[in-house]
This record gives sequence, C-alpha cells and structure tokens, in this order.
Amino acid sequence: MPTGPCILLVDDEERFRQNLQKMLRAHGLTVTAVGSGEQALAALAAQPYDVMLLDMRMPGLSGLETLRAIRQDYPDTEVIALTGHASVDTAAEIIRLGGFELLLKPCPLEEIIAKIESAYERKLARQEKQ
Amino acid sequence: MTDNPPPEPDQQCWPGLWQHVAVYGSTWLVLGLAIMLAVQVSLLLGLVAAMAAGLTWLTVQRLLRQKAVADQAKCLVDEQLLQSQKLAALGQLSAGLAHEINNPLAIIRQEAEWLLFLCRQSDPLDMTEAANGLRQILQQVDRSREITTNLLNFARRQQPVVQAVNLNRLVADMVRLVAKEVEQRRITVVSQLAPELPVINSDGPLLRQVILNLLNNAIQAIGQDGTITVATEALAPDQLTVQIRDTGCGIPPEHLARIFDPFFTTKGQGQGTGLGLSICHGIIERLGGTITVTSEVGKGSTFTVKLPITLTPKEI
Repeated sequence: MPTGPCILLVDDEERFRQNLQKMLRAHGLTVTAVGSGEQALAALAAQPYDVMLLDMRMPGLSGLETLRAIRQDYPDTEVIALTGHASVDTAAEIIRLGGFELLLKPCPLEEIIAKIESAYERKLARQEKQ
Repeated sequence: MTDNPPPEPDQQCWPGLWQHVAVYGSTWLVLGLAIMLAVQVSLLLGLVAAMAAGLTWLTVQRLLRQKAVADQAKCLVDEQLLQSQKLAALGQLSAGLAHEINNPLAIIRQEAEWLLFLCRQSDPLDMTEAANGLRQILQQVDRSREITTNLLNFARRQQPVVQAVNLNRLVADMVRLVAKEVEQRRITVVSQLAPELPVINSDGPLLRQVILNLLNNAIQAIGQDGTITVATEALAPDQLTVQIRDTGCGIPPEHLARIFDPFFTTKGQGQGTGLGLSICHGIIERLGGTITVTSEVGKGSTFTVKLPITLTPKEI
C-alpha cells in the first residue's frame, strides 16, 4: 500500500502524459493520468487525490475552468498548474483560485517531483490544523 | 538830429525778427508744438504699431510652437499607440509560439530524462524502449520545425502573382487532393460549383493554399462521419464566392471573433498550430477579398471567401 501522495495528472498531450506517468511511477509515486478537464472531474468524483498536475491549455474544459470547478468541489486537492506558456493574467488567476504552483514546460523531472512533495506536505499540514 | 538810442546788436542783425515774432510768434509756436505733437504721436503710434506687430509675431510664433508641440505630441501618441498595438500583437504571437514550441520541448526533455534513467539502471538497456524514445524525440523535433516553418510562411507574405484562374477547377483539384482522407473518415464531399463561372485574375497557388486549409479545417472539425459542401457562386458581376460548409463540431460564439488570430486554436495539443486560418485570412486580404465565418456549436461552420474578379492586391 503506497504511503506517498495520490496524484492525478491531467494533460491532453498523450505522449507527455504517458511519459510523465511512467517517470513518476518509476520514482515510486502513485499516478493516474487522464486527458481532459472533464475526465479529471470524473476521476475526482470517483476517488480523492492529494495532488493534481493540471495542464492549462486543453480543448473542452480548459485548465482554468477545471481549476475553478475543483476549488469549489474538491478544495482539499492541491493543484500544480502545468503550462507551455503563462501570461501574467493566467498566473494571477491560478494563484487567485488557490493553485499551489505553476510549472512551465519543459521542466526537469526533479522539479516536478519536488513540487509534488511540497504540495503534499502542505496538504498534510492543512489537514493537521483542521 | 534825433537822439535815438543805438539799436541792440541783435536788433541790428535781425531787424525784423522781433517784429515778426511779435506778429507771428504764437502761430509758429503753435505750429511747432503741433508738429512736435504730431511727430510724437506718430512715433508713439509707430511704437504701438511696432509693439502690436511684435506681439502679433510673438503670438503667432507661440501658436506655431504650440501647434508644433501638439503635432509632435500627437505623433508621439499615434506612434505609441501603434507601438503598443504592435507589442500586443507580438505578445500574442510570442505567447502562442512559446506554448506551441514548449510542448514538444517538454516531451523531448522527458524522453531524454527517461533514457538517462534507463541508462543508470543496472538492468541491460531495453533497446526497443530506447529506440521508441529516440523516435519520439525526432517526431517532436519535426513538430517544432513545422511550427517554425508555418510561422515563417505566415510572416513572409509573398506578393501575389496575378494569373487567370479557373476557380471551379482549382476547387475541384483541392477536393480531389483530400479525397482519400475524407473517404477514410467516411466524410461525404458535396460539390455545388456554379456553371460558367468567369475566369478570375488572381494568384492560383495562394488560393489553393486557402482552399486546402479550409478543407482540412472542415475535415478536422468533423472528425468522422459528416458532410462537407463546397460551393462556388458569382455573387456580383465583379465578385465570386467560395463557400465551405461542414457538419462538424462548430465554433463557440466566444471563439468566433478570435478564429483568425495567429495561434488561436481549439484543437488538442499537437493537432494544429493555430496558424492555418490566420494564414488564409492574410492571403485573402492580399488578394483583395474577404473571408468570414458563421458557425453553430454541434451543427457546423461555414467559411465564405469573397474574391474580386480582377485582383487589386493590397500591400500589407
């Protein structure tokens, strides 16, 4: 039974999603990967996730729209936004919506893992306070 | 002999002067004063006139200076406005470019990291997996190159070369080009080409690029199972239209205004750079025509290209 964070990876770029899932799993993390905002909301409805890696630019429900929905219904999930490019407005909106961190693609795997761990620690700390 | 006193020396020199003065002195005095007054008034008037002229000149100069400053300020504001518009366009373009290039770069990085990870393992390297990773790197490099090529084509803006173009034949050729693709996707193409359409003076290769882009766009909007209707028509004596209608997913109203913007896309990652329609828009504008779109989500979109029969290319 894994004790680390339960991660939900949301990215419409199939190869990126598969690679990141494979690499995070190789580092002992539990990862579920889905390809859209709609699938992410369905996955969250099925089971809770500690940390979510969320791509911002997706067809259908965009990253920001997904983040808004998550903040409303699943406030305990920490969200790390992933994007190929972030404008100041997007970054400000992510922070305003309570996103934990914004990662710019391409970013090193170590950085992604460090942010996941940091987000998970934050989640645990918040749970302890409650 | 009379003892008259001898005359005073002056009286001796100017015997009639005193008498003259006595008789006409007041007149001369008044006249002199009048002349002096007139001279002084003239001088004063001259001075006033000179001052007025000077003031007028100064005022005119000041007004001219103010106008020059105002013109300069207006030029500066216009220039700043133009500059800010250029910067906004550049910002939008750069944002799209950064996004489109960073995604393949992210995959290239992942593949390289994964290969390094595999190399560090004590197990022998799985050559199939390594080859897959390297192939993926090559694919992503090609994807990035396609983006930059499209961008350069978009920026190059070749001047149109005017030739006689049979629009119906050109459209039919492009439909034939996508025939295999539409067949695989079970898409029906209906051609409604107006008979006896006049030959137009336009740039054939540029028009082919537009029609092919619009057909590809329609195919991607449909995905599988649907209909594309291609119609030509002589709208006015000096204008032809080409319409490409699809029964695809349609474009949400909030996206319609941005559909011709560079890098604007609603397609998934790697499925489009968002340059196709902006290239079409740029070409049609240069060919002196217009391109418009109407759409309904879930029902489809109609792209209408209006072309002048005689090309008057615009310098863009």
